[in-house]
Amino acid sequence: MTSAPALWAEFDSAERAVAGARLLRARGLKRLDACSPYPLIELEDELGIERPSLIPKLVLLGASLGGTVAFCVIWWTAAVAYPLDVGGRPLNSVVADIPIVFELSVLGAALTTFTLCLGLSGMPRLSHPLEALEGFERTSIDRFWIGACDRGALDDAELAEQLQQLGALRIHRFVGSEAAREG
Amino acid sequence: MSSVGALPAGGLPLEPLPAPADERELLTGATDERALTAELLGKILQPPKWLGPAIVVTGAISSVLVFSVGYTLVTGIGVWGNDIPVAWAFAITNFVWWIGIGHAGTFISAFLLLFEQKWRTSINRFAEGMTLFALVQAGLFPLLHMGRPWFFYWLVPYPSTMAVWPQFRSSLTWDVAAVSTYLIVSVLFFYLGLLPDLAALRDFASERWRRRIYGIFALGWYGSAAAWRRHRIAYGLLAGLAAPLVVSVHSIVSMDFAIGILPGWHSTIFPPYFVAGAIYSGFAMVLTLLIPARRWYKLEHVVTTAHLDKMAKMLLVTGLVVSYSYAVETYAAWVGGDAFERRMQLAVRPFGPIGSIFWTVIACNCGTPLLLWSRRVRRSAATLFVLSLFIQVGMWLERFMLIVSSQSADFLPSSAHGYQPSIIDGAILVGTLGFFSFLFLVFLRFVPFIPVSELKALNHDLRARP
Repeated sequence: MTSAPALWAEFDSAERAVAGARLLRARGLKRLDACSPYPLIELEDELGIERPSLIPKLVLLGASLGGTVAFCVIWWTAAVAYPLDVGGRPLNSVVADIPIVFELSVLGAALTTFTLCLGLSGMPRLSHPLEALEGFERTSIDRFWIGACDRGALDDAELAEQLQQLGALRIHRFVGSEAAREG
Repeated sequence: MSSVGALPAGGLPLEPLPAPADERELLTGATDERALTAELLGKILQPPKWLGPAIVVTGAISSVLVFSVGYTLVTGIGVWGNDIPVAWAFAITNFVWWIGIGHAGTFISAFLLLFEQKWRTSINRFAEGMTLFALVQAGLFPLLHMGRPWFFYWLVPYPSTMAVWPQFRSSLTWDVAAVSTYLIVSVLFFYLGLLPDLAALRDFASERWRRRIYGIFALGWYGSAAAWRRHRIAYGLLAGLAAPLVVSVHSIVSMDFAIGILPGWHSTIFPPYFVAGAIYSGFAMVLTLLIPARRWYKLEHVVTTAHLDKMAKMLLVTGLVVSYSYAVETYAAWVGGDAFERRMQLAVRPFGPIGSIFWTVIACNCGTPLLLWSRRVRRSAATLFVLSLFIQVGMWLERFMLIVSSQSADFLPSSAHGYQPSIIDGAILVGTLGFFSFLFLVFLRFVPFIPVSELKALNHDLRARP
């Protein structure tokens, strides 16, 4: 979620918010953002953030790393550092390694997934500049916010009016964290 | 193309399909977003009157656990009834039972998400909470059973001056990897799903201290479209990762048995048989917890009869798989040509010293689910509650029977010896039941146990369709 200066429109329904996003896109605005109480795939489509995500590829890397570390530790401890003959069985018994290598691959993948999901979204954090906007706390409950961060959008009176015609409850002008704190 | 000639000239109509009737049943009553939030979060902010006393009572029962574990640690593991040859007895029975219960939670949250089953939405958080608290109880038993639990870290490969490393060809080390991975992944999955609801609670609470505490735990979630997208991808990935865990963890637990050579254990059917049993007992536990909670929290319009009906069907399916496994196990022993296996399956278990337990297991685990063929039984909360208790007792006794019968009568008649649990064994089991209930009630007190944002999304989805 961006904290750049932007024009934010507040809606009370998902359908109107999607219509608002469609309007912004139709006007050629590129740097759009939105907040909603639940995931809205239609909104993501309108905002144009539908690009392939890096997360799955990095998760594969995390899984490989977990599995490789597990295998190397088992091989080194069982075959090199502390060889123990148990009834003449092979020291590095790959079949017996399967459960642990599998589990640690899953662990590596899960930790990568979680870290990326939070980290790429700027979390964890204690607060966000947009909180200064009046009524912003209702985004997690029943309000939908659409923001345009393109240059000039902030002072575009016509755009604000059009958004209001689409059913925006309020138009907020967010001019960056410093100014927002003042008023 | 003549076969699709009936299509309208403009191509396929893009009207959304109407929601099937049974999906409509999943959410009834208030469907306004604010009202839904207020109702579900209100249950956390203004908890019902019975909750406080219930937490105190279960806390008191948990103290039984503290005392019995403390006594075991101070005096030594000899206070348990375990002995050679029955060295596993209560501790491993409890371990397998508790960890199996956890599996239904992961099944509901992971498998049903991947299969896009909408009925998981109201109950997944509840079931995930159950998983975590069952895992806490389960983890206790292998630790205590080691005899000197303060040396548990010997199972983890760490460089020590003794230059001794764990033996990774032993299934005990597999358990460590499986159970700890399962616990960590379950926590991550639970927490990731919880973030949007913690944020809603932060923004909905009126008291400053609540907003602060929930604000810290919400980690700064503001529901931006990009964050929702990453959340969806990550949640799907974690579901995909947790799904094989459901299968692998109990398979590895079953290998503790199956890689041993004891009659009644050394069988390739164990992994699938244990996994089915785990999901079976877990669904029973979900019903045991959910049926009273939905009534006392007045959640009948969110956790509807349709939900109970679907869970009862899962019980029926897994119950039949378990019954089939019993049949195959016995049949394989009969035709298998191993005299010891045949004696175990056809004589010791059904007609030996704990034969009454065997028949109770058959009655509870194979007989009870047959009642669920009836739609009336599946849709009656009170009946399901009673049935779920029978199934849980049956599943606990099943593990007990598996362990005690095989260990007490192996190959040599001279090494046969019976088993008698001590009062401390019983106290620890009762204590974990109390502690599990305590943790669960604390969870109901502080955590949004119905996924509010997911329900709002479901509501939006149902509304968008004619």
